[in-house]
Amino acid sequence: MSLSLSAKRAAVIALVALIGLAGCSTKVSRIETDEVRDLSGKWNDTDSRLVSEEMIGQMLEGAWVNNHVRRHGNLPTVIVGTVKNLSHEHVNVNTFVADIERAVINSGRVEFVASRDERGEIREERKDMDVHASEATRKAMGQEIGADYMLTGSINTIVDKEGKTAVRYYQVDMNLISLTDNRKAWVGQKKIKKVVEKPGMRF
Amino acid sequence: MQRLCRVSRWAWPLLLMAMLGGCATYSASRPALEASLAAGQYEQALKQLAEHPGPERDRVLHLLDRAMLQRLAGDYGASNASFEEAKRIIDEFSTISATETSASFLINDATTTYVGEPFEQALLHAYAALNYLDLGDDEAARVEALQVDLTLQSLAEDDEGPLARDPFARYLAGIIYERRGEWSDALISYRMAYEGYKAHARLYPIAVPSALKEDLLRLTARVGLMDEHRRFREEFGVPNWQDPGLQNGELVVLLHNGLAPIKREERAVLVPPRVPQVVSIALPRYEPRPGVVSGARVLVDGREVRTEIVEDVTAIAQHTLSGRMPAITARALARAVTKFKITESARKEDKAAGLISNVAGLLTERADTRSWLTLPAEIQLARLRLPAGDHQVCMELLSPAGGVVETHEFAISVAKDSQTVLSRHWIPSLSSRRTP
Repeated sequence: MSLSLSAKRAAVIALVALIGLAGCSTKVSRIETDEVRDLSGKWNDTDSRLVSEEMIGQMLEGAWVNNHVRRHGNLPTVIVGTVKNLSHEHVNVNTFVADIERAVINSGRVEFVASRDERGEIREERKDMDVHASEATRKAMGQEIGADYMLTGSINTIVDKEGKTAVRYYQVDMNLISLTDNRKAWVGQKKIKKVVEKPGMRF
Repeated sequence: MQRLCRVSRWAWPLLLMAMLGGCATYSASRPALEASLAAGQYEQALKQLAEHPGPERDRVLHLLDRAMLQRLAGDYGASNASFEEAKRIIDEFSTISATETSASFLINDATTTYVGEPFEQALLHAYAALNYLDLGDDEAARVEALQVDLTLQSLAEDDEGPLARDPFARYLAGIIYERRGEWSDALISYRMAYEGYKAHARLYPIAVPSALKEDLLRLTARVGLMDEHRRFREEFGVPNWQDPGLQNGELVVLLHNGLAPIKREERAVLVPPRVPQVVSIALPRYEPRPGVVSGARVLVDGREVRTEIVEDVTAIAQHTLSGRMPAITARALARAVTKFKITESARKEDKAAGLISNVAGLLTERADTRSWLTLPAEIQLARLRLPAGDHQVCMELLSPAGGVVETHEFAISVAKDSQTVLSRHWIPSLSSRRTP
């Protein structure tokens, strides 16, 4: 009798342990990249996407491309400069800069040249070609295209907090500055505002 | 039915004992790690820390210790990853929990999720910023400076009093803004640091660092706030102050001195008259950890500066705890009463149950001795203008008697209009801590 009782007890403990363990396993579900999932209220993929969509639209609709073509007779060439993170969060600016670059290049109206970080490796390769590649396929140095414009920008934030509610305001500014004469050819802006409310109490 | 009731009466002290886990308090549970830390074996200490992750509610402390050990081991990137995780948990768990609060009234205070005292939260951002400076990422250090501001603002809102105005975190934020050429932001932070030092000086002796006075004078002059500049000249007693000029680079030396105080448990045991029961109350008390050096002498190009205290972690920790003591004591008394009543009702039913309930109550009554133990006891700083070029820096750590304890040589290259930050941690050996 006592033995069966302890066996029963052991079974109950095992069951409880199993239920407990089941809750610990990692659950992964795939979602669309444009689905909005706000977890903490911090800068996330949705913000990055909103910024890139807005900037791409503003950049391609801007008059600067046509102005450049009319004035110079060729497509404008752009180099990506630095986008300063002046916000209060560790924001990865590369995500939307890469988005903008991709969309603008694919529009076929603007050309991009490799940025400062990227071209070092290319130049190494060209130097290497000088020694190892055949005459016919060798690419000469000094044939790089000098960019007409530099894309720079910044992210700024204002956070206003009162008790459990916080308003987070992000402003992303991007400029295309003419490398010839420092003229600002285009200015784009995206503002994002969120209200984050925290519960007054947790379980 | 009678039998079942008896089981449930026995069950609650057993449950309490199960929840208690190990009986040691937090601060008494890690002698091996302390030994490795004192011996300067940071990799070993990290291994020992990983072997004892502790309960989930102490996760923030685990991460803070890990981040500091990773910083000491020179792995600044990993250290910041740990700090980021700690920030996320602090953010998530800073709201009061219903279950944890009731557990703190029933079992003990250490059953709540630890989210750090105000000074620990401020220093979290300060050390993350220092990590970024060591990595050469000024922009990310600036993010931490902004987060210091947000953290201290929300702590001020929570009515933490003058202790929420952490002066060093503000001062460091100012230094970060100034090195980026953001003069007005830097000035605002320096002003807040100055106000912070004055507020803290009302609680414990701390002087406004002379480096900060110099910074306030320099920046008010640069931004053109001449009224304020004149007022500072009067306040600091330097009517003939001269701007040392902008052409030079600057060296900032930080000495992270000793180890933060440790919380110990103090226990009072009472035997109420005419009741066969023992009541116990356990309260935390900070104990400073000896072995700090008195400061550092920095020698460059035949010039000499002494570091000054910019953050007295020991004093801030002690005042933070004494501010919390009324609430901690009230909770401990409420717990004692609850445990007493439960034991009494159990004893009336069954003597053995009463005894077990009493023992469980005694065992679970532990003080909350959790704190960030790898923090230094104090932070000292010296700022020094240097001409651009290569310099040999010699840093001598001085004992309280004035003798040189340790010498460090650094070769630095100062660029024009730029700033070099050098950090040095001094962790006393175990033997020096035994004989203060």
